[in-house]
Amino acid sequence: MFGSSNLLNKRLARSLWGTKLRLSAVIGMIFVGVFAGITFGGYSANLGPMYDSIYEDSDSGSNLADIWIDNESSIWSADQVQSLCSEIESSWPEGAEPLDQCEGRIVMNGAMFHMTDSGQNVINSVWHGIPHNSDVDKPWFPDGHSQGMPAEAEDEIVIDEHVREALSLSLQDVVTIGVGEGSMNFTIVGFAYHPLHIYMAPEGSLFPPESGEFVVGYLSSSGMERLTGLSQGSANTIVLDISGTPSFDLSDTEAYEGEELDGVKEAIASSMDENGMDGRIRDRGQVESVELMRLDLEGTKTMAAPFTVLIQLIAAITIALSLQRLVQSQTREIAILRTLGLPRKSIMSGYLIAPLVIGGFGCLIGSIAGPYGMNGMLDFYEGIVGIPIIEREIPSEIYLSTTGITMSIVFISGVYPAWKATRIDPLEALGGSSEMRVGSNYLQTLTGWMPTLLGLSVRSSLRKPARLGMTFLAVGISLMLAGSIQMMTVALNDTIVGGLREGQTWDAQVFVQPDGESEVVEWAIDKGASYEIVIEAPVGTLIDSSELQRSFVLVGLGGYGDGESMRQTEIIDGSEPAPNSVITEVMMDEGSLQMTGWKVGDRQLVSISGNELEVDIVGSVRGEISRTMFFHQTDLAGIIGFNATAVYLEFPEGVSVDEELGILSSGIQERESLLRGIESLLDQQTQVLGTIMVLGFIFTLAVMFNTMVMNLAERDFELATLRVLGASTGSLSVMLLFESTIIGLIGGLFGVIFAFGGALGLAAEFSTWQFYFPVVLVPNVAFQLISVVLLISVAMVPVGIFRIRNMDLVEKIKDLSQ
Amino acid sequence: MYIMSLLSMTNVKRHYETPAGTVKALDGINIQIDEGERVLLLGPSGSGKTTLLNCLSALDSPTDGSYSFMGSEVPRGNSEEMTSFRRENIGYVFQFFNLLQDLTVMENISLIQELAGNRDKSRAEELLRLVGLHSERDRFPGEISGGQQQRVAIARSIAKRPTLLLGDELTGNLDTETSDKVMQVLVEACEKENITAVLVTHDESLIVYATRVIRIDSGRIVSDEKTVSSEKATIS
Repeated sequence: MFGSSNLLNKRLARSLWGTKLRLSAVIGMIFVGVFAGITFGGYSANLGPMYDSIYEDSDSGSNLADIWIDNESSIWSADQVQSLCSEIESSWPEGAEPLDQCEGRIVMNGAMFHMTDSGQNVINSVWHGIPHNSDVDKPWFPDGHSQGMPAEAEDEIVIDEHVREALSLSLQDVVTIGVGEGSMNFTIVGFAYHPLHIYMAPEGSLFPPESGEFVVGYLSSSGMERLTGLSQGSANTIVLDISGTPSFDLSDTEAYEGEELDGVKEAIASSMDENGMDGRIRDRGQVESVELMRLDLEGTKTMAAPFTVLIQLIAAITIALSLQRLVQSQTREIAILRTLGLPRKSIMSGYLIAPLVIGGFGCLIGSIAGPYGMNGMLDFYEGIVGIPIIEREIPSEIYLSTTGITMSIVFISGVYPAWKATRIDPLEALGGSSEMRVGSNYLQTLTGWMPTLLGLSVRSSLRKPARLGMTFLAVGISLMLAGSIQMMTVALNDTIVGGLREGQTWDAQVFVQPDGESEVVEWAIDKGASYEIVIEAPVGTLIDSSELQRSFVLVGLGGYGDGESMRQTEIIDGSEPAPNSVITEVMMDEGSLQMTGWKVGDRQLVSISGNELEVDIVGSVRGEISRTMFFHQTDLAGIIGFNATAVYLEFPEGVSVDEELGILSSGIQERESLLRGIESLLDQQTQVLGTIMVLGFIFTLAVMFNTMVMNLAERDFELATLRVLGASTGSLSVMLLFESTIIGLIGGLFGVIFAFGGALGLAAEFSTWQFYFPVVLVPNVAFQLISVVLLISVAMVPVGIFRIRNMDLVEKIKDLSQ
Repeated sequence: MYIMSLLSMTNVKRHYETPAGTVKALDGINIQIDEGERVLLLGPSGSGKTTLLNCLSALDSPTDGSYSFMGSEVPRGNSEEMTSFRRENIGYVFQFFNLLQDLTVMENISLIQELAGNRDKSRAEELLRLVGLHSERDRFPGEISGGQQQRVAIARSIAKRPTLLLGDELTGNLDTETSDKVMQVLVEACEKENITAVLVTHDESLIVYATRVIRIDSGRIVSDEKTVSSEKATIS
């Protein structure tokens, strides 16, 4: 019995070895499925604790604060800070986790005057004054990924590691910095990271400028005293560290998670009132730079799951189709064995072992390669956020679940057709009567008008509708991966970059302290530059339909008509706001309207710096990634009490940002630099997506190739008959081309539908109050997708022709006669 | 009456190299077939009769010797030229009919006309009448019997007016009664269309439908005889 089983297994092994191409295609897809599962699973699992190392309250971590109190327009004295901290400590709510630390510090916008080969460069900067022994919100010095030590002396500075390379800085280099009060030299004693500056963008900006065009530095408190002239202990920011990590409201969820901190924040607010102090009280969810990274992390993790499922689904469909076909091709041999009297059990043993061997081999190489894929993706993400991901380990459950699912698919796909084959009456299988089918009357009616050869090609393609349907499904899913990302990327580029590049004419946006615009305006007049004063303040809040408080940016421009402002807005619905209306007229970005459920024509209540205001929404604006309300500048100035937060400048020939302007400002944003930053961010973001996109196209290629090869292989009978009867390669080429074109077009249409659906799904998944992703069906993208599928499909025609030309007709005739 | 020679083979050999040595499937075949003949190739398994049929149809090329068809040498080695030769001159009937199952009876015939570049619906219908299957024109092969399928295959093979009709065990899959019916249809069609036929078979009973019987063994012709039918054909 064993002897005969061994021989049978040997026979099967040799027989399968004879179909090496198909066998390697199956193993290849198993490899891809397992590789993708482990890569994405491991990636997702390791991203989870990514920020734990940096936020950790330990000697090696930076201990991210839990509450920040700040006021950008005034400085509190050391006594005020001391008094407030004592008050907070004494009024700390019962039941809340205890307060560990309350510490004041100065955080200021400024500039770095950096000499390069092309002259002096004024770089927008933020400087933190951190007490030397501080144990909260301190720079992070991970081993092997940072240099030096924290600043201690008054002339020492630690520069953020993100810009070290871009600015070619080294330890002991001297840098010149300022905060609008002249400039000072500091010696670099370290390069480190900071939990508030993982995302290297100025506050209020969603886009980080190009590396080296925004600098953050960490001084000692004495260093900050020297830089600002303010006495030690004075502060504009107070950081509070609470034991453990109290939960805070997550902006991307419907539920409200911030209850634990509400009592604490109320207590802090009343302590501030008692001390006559004014300022923002924010938790981690409200500090943009922290929340943004959490959202990005969540988005990346969220994205990994559906992509893994999609990739594995495509692999599963392809594995199932190919393996089924591979085993089905054994039907005749199984029938012969049955005729020779072999029991089903003996025959089946090989078909139980074969999928295990094939699947096991594919899983093994997928599991070996998976960690490399995961590390590649983590390295990539590390490159994007700029901080090291130190902990990297793939949980064994990921290996088990991925290989378990794959092996089940392989096993079922391999065993089922073999079991079915053993149930066929040997006489039927050998006599060929099991292959006798009746054609479809419906298809005959549908294609009867066509030339017979073309009609035949359509009918042959639709002969196995279930398989063709599965192919289209797999192509659809493949293109969902590729196309949805492409659609989202194009929509993002068109709306964000397109608007900034084409709709705006300013060269630099110079930030000023409230009402500090006059000196910048004088500079502009002196240099012959055009200017426009604008208000951009992130001080608006509203209550959305879920009763959640959402914050938004207020923008006040001089006008919204053609040429009325250096910042053009794309009004997609309604009209521009008229100034001085009884009820203030405003426009909102389309994302805000969509997410609040508001619409043009509504009258709504919003809160601006804590004061309620009724507004009439008169227009909707496209191209704003952050939630924004647009006012007429004069209206907004009257509401918030100052005229400008920034000045837009348009330079004449020969004029550019200089040191004088840098000293006058509290930060300068050049449009070209912002554009480069956005483009580079989009590039970075879309590179990961681009990898998945390429993967999607490769899958499309694999799925289509697999189907077309199977189609051709199954039609040997038909093609050989036609060839014997005198069909030329030309006429058979026309037949195959017609068939491929139809399959390509239908597959392409499926792809576009899936891709658009996927893009809508992705946009809905990624869109949060902070980020709104518009999705527009761009015809070019749709045509591209259809073309890709069509091209792949048509590219199979030469393969078919090659096969036909090299067909051994004498052998085929023998087959046809058996 | 002057009868033209349709094809002639002179010292045709078809040898195959195998690990066990050279297999001489055809070993010096000399044959001349005239227009209108119905030749039956008889011989035991492995005698070389199918190889000879393959060489006659230009599915296979002789290793040596000369093969001329209507005075011209038949192409060998080049698959496109060989296909073109078949398209222009040969009708082929398979043992298992090999009708395309997604096409109706009528469409199976039209397809061959299309391949030959002369779609002619009325001729297709006429051929279906000739084989007695006009009423089945819109049925699929899977819906008719084996004998009917073989008759369709015969109609298909002569639809493009071939000069030479070749059949490989064309009744091998049919019972005696059906075989007779199919052969009668074939003879009638060949006579009406003036088609020469070469048929490979094991079945000695089919001799009655032939005008000439060639027996082959070990790749050589062992006998070549005219039959009674040929005399009848000559007299008529």
